Amino acid sequence: MKILNILSTIALAALLFACTSHPSVPNGAQKEARLPKIYPDYTDVTIPSNICPLNFAVQEGAAEVVARFSYPGGEQTYGKGSNVLIDESEWKDILAASKGKSITVDVFANINGSWKQFNSFKINVAEEEIDQYISYRLIQPSYVAYESLTISQRDLTSFEEKVIYNNMSVSTEEMGQCINCHSYQNYKTDHMLFHMRQAHGGTMIVNDGKLTKVDLKTDETISAGVYPAWHPTKNFIAFSTNKTGQSFHTKDLAKIEVQDTESDLILYDVDKNEVSIISELDDELEVFPTWSPDGKKLYFCSAHFEYHNDSIAKETEMINRFKEVKYDLYCADFNPDTKQFSNMEKIYCASDTAINKSATLPRVSPDGRYLLFAIAEFGCFHVWHNDADIMLLDLKTKEVKALDNVNSNRSESYPTWSSNGRWIMVDSRRDDGNYTRPYIAYFDKNGKTHKAFELPQKDPNFYTFFVRSYNRPEFMIEEVKVSPKEFTSKALEEPIKAKYVK
Amino acid sequence: MKDMLAYEGGWLLWVSCYLTQFFYHPWIGSIILIIIWILSYYLLLITTRMFKNKWCFILLLPFIFFLYSILSYGYWIYYVKIQGYVFYNSLLFFICVVLTLIICEALRLVKVKKFNIITGAILSLCCVIFHLCGTLWNISKANEFSITMSDDNFHHELSMYRAIDEGRYEDVIEEAKNLNNDQPTNLMVLFKNIALMHTDRLPEMFQINNCGITPKTDDSLKIRISQLAAPLIYYQFGQMNYAYRWAMENSVKHGLSFRNVKIMALASIFNQDFAVAAKYINILKQSVYYRDWAFLHERWIQSSTDFIQSQEYQTIAPLLNDDINELDTDNGFCERWILDHFSNILNPTSEKLEDLLICSSLWSTDEYAFCVHFHDYYQRHKDEHIPALYQEGALLLGNAPESPITLYNFPFDEEISMNFNQFVMDYNDYNSSGADKQKMMNLLKERYSDTFWFYYYFYNDFNIY
Repeated sequence: MKILNILSTIALAALLFACTSHPSVPNGAQKEARLPKIYPDYTDVTIPSNICPLNFAVQEGAAEVVARFSYPGGEQTYGKGSNVLIDESEWKDILAASKGKSITVDVFANINGSWKQFNSFKINVAEEEIDQYISYRLIQPSYVAYESLTISQRDLTSFEEKVIYNNMSVSTEEMGQCINCHSYQNYKTDHMLFHMRQAHGGTMIVNDGKLTKVDLKTDETISAGVYPAWHPTKNFIAFSTNKTGQSFHTKDLAKIEVQDTESDLILYDVDKNEVSIISELDDELEVFPTWSPDGKKLYFCSAHFEYHNDSIAKETEMINRFKEVKYDLYCADFNPDTKQFSNMEKIYCASDTAINKSATLPRVSPDGRYLLFAIAEFGCFHVWHNDADIMLLDLKTKEVKALDNVNSNRSESYPTWSSNGRWIMVDSRRDDGNYTRPYIAYFDKNGKTHKAFELPQKDPNFYTFFVRSYNRPEFMIEEVKVSPKEFTSKALEEPIKAKYVK
Repeated sequence: MKDMLAYEGGWLLWVSCYLTQFFYHPWIGSIILIIIWILSYYLLLITTRMFKNKWCFILLLPFIFFLYSILSYGYWIYYVKIQGYVFYNSLLFFICVVLTLIICEALRLVKVKKFNIITGAILSLCCVIFHLCGTLWNISKANEFSITMSDDNFHHELSMYRAIDEGRYEDVIEEAKNLNNDQPTNLMVLFKNIALMHTDRLPEMFQINNCGITPKTDDSLKIRISQLAAPLIYYQFGQMNYAYRWAMENSVKHGLSFRNVKIMALASIFNQDFAVAAKYINILKQSVYYRDWAFLHERWIQSSTDFIQSQEYQTIAPLLNDDINELDTDNGFCERWILDHFSNILNPTSEKLEDLLICSSLWSTDEYAFCVHFHDYYQRHKDEHIPALYQEGALLLGNAPESPITLYNFPFDEEISMNFNQFVMDYNDYNSSGADKQKMMNLLKERYSDTFWFYYYFYNDFNIY
């Protein structure tokens, strides 16, 4: 009996400890007529009604802070030291009550013994939800070297992150493995792929839940498949094939230039294990294929580049003329029955002297109306270009505009759409210029983009110390069902060689 | 930490890394390690109940192997991928011993008869064997052990690195002067020349042995200067992007170390890339030994005056030439890139850089570049005394047919001219007498080893690694 009493007391104490404490709003706080400095910046953002709590740190040098969340039908306070940590279940209730409306946040901070109250800000809660999952590659922003990489998936409705595949499971001391370019068919994970290079190289393809490992390099193509796009309805994958090199800036903060000396487009028929050429035009560097939602058009980028000097290597000439490489946006019709491409046309001439830029990484909205792409002064690897911004092309009106609410003075790249077309996600380096973080922005029915917010983390200071980049974030409507262990055992097998067909 | 905890046993790795920082003062790190060993030994004695057994010294074997494996690392310390490796094995062993003790005591509690010594000994033995297998791998590399333990250059490199990192350039020069053997490694030569450069004595570079060799290691290890010290070297030469890049590359391959984080922070501050500099400074603030450094350098971000007035800025800034951005690659050979890069720069913006350009061209024996730099140098310093080294270079290279300059009426020092003429005569005499290159080198060494001519003729095919 005595033991039972002790145990129940301990359990009660643990329960009380586990419960979120709600601090009181301080009385007589002095008004500070400005917004508080908070990180991540969630002031006046629009968020999905199913997102995880927006925990944040108040960067005002305060010993303690209190944040009051006022929402339709109630209010709640949070604060722990200089952080605002929101209980997950309470947050769900707050979001449910605020759907289509706003939450008003008042921040109070105890600075040097006196409380200050900052101007309140709003968090708008959209009616539309966001896809439950995203996936990304976690990589240190290195240049040539790589070691430990994962492709991971994150549940956006909570803070849970799981590893899809970890390269260290097959890497050895002598030879490591690089992994990249994960892609899904129509946001579903029963058709997905990613590449592995070096040790146990090949392309891992999940076809209707079945796992295979293929080698897409053929004698007729310049490389294995690189940047992928899975056809939205058929078992076809468009890839670019690239001969890629790296060189390094001595002064420019971009530090590195990743360039293709050659590139083409190929189509891979997953069921037949056949590779065919889509485009291999001379003097054209084709890259970054992406399908229209109906699968009847293939969008891609291409740069016209003529080598002038036979006496030096192509790589050297490319390095010498790196600023001349400018990509335009193209589109070609596709007949899924015959697998034929036709009517190739340039839909946005970024290299035009009036614009004089380079457009890459196109993505079409799920309704087929808009196309997101990244733009910078030159080149194809905009994740390293500080001037890279995200643009929106209205495919109906042909109007192009910069997404000012999404862009920053640092690199923005890898734009993508949620499956309902209401959310945009981009990779941004605005935090510190070197580490990419996913930023999400609301894209309303009128085609207006709202202020982007950083992927929330349980610890608001997480990004401050995290030394990996989030590379190529993609939306998914479901979890990846193949386990890391299954990927690992398949990775150790020899790849099946793809066949080339004309 | 989150990164490490993502792996099985990652917490052990984290603890090992945390403890490793105490080797900043070798004696503190050593004491911690010895305490772990003593504790492990004591627990082993309890487990096996061998306190008064005459064979109890056998239980010291694992610790001898641990010590051996640490001492035999040598150049592997730059390449080993287990972070915190010094503590990792010992801590793992300690945990095994604790677990063994718990199992033994539990079995004793349930009164397993005759358990005491036999089972305890077997379990402990398994524990020991498990670890011995790992350390035996090191024994198989006995050659390497003998090399690194007796290789003075390895130790010189370590102490020169730290001296440069702490701005003690005079100590580096002293160390270079007082080498016991004649042949420093290329890395030591680089360190020595960095120290000379930052004490405005670069023209003395050939007076202190400038002929480097590759380190003595076994064949399984491909030593690269870029992996040993490229971040520090590039930083000292004012090449901030390349310093940052190599600090990042080496961190990716071999784990985030304080030395690399420091360089990334410094390079970012010099690049005025303050947001990422703040990130690294925040990381360093979490450490025991670099916390003060982090707070000091945080002030550089907050106040450009503090930064510009700092000793480090004053030292490095003259090398930050306002040249245009170049797209280039070092292909992993930082020494070669530095020599080529500085040989090819035109229009230096400081006297320090001016010296570096002309010395780089001599160091790399780039005859054309030297002549161009010498010509420019002479135009700018017509009324001044030209350093002896530059005169030596000009005497040897200036009159070559492909030379773009003319030395007619150049006011060479009489002593240097005479010495050069004597060198030419001696060289020709030995050459015509049929002496081979090695013999000629030995004959000329005593009199001319501190001249550029000697370096030019007898050290013109040095290995870049």
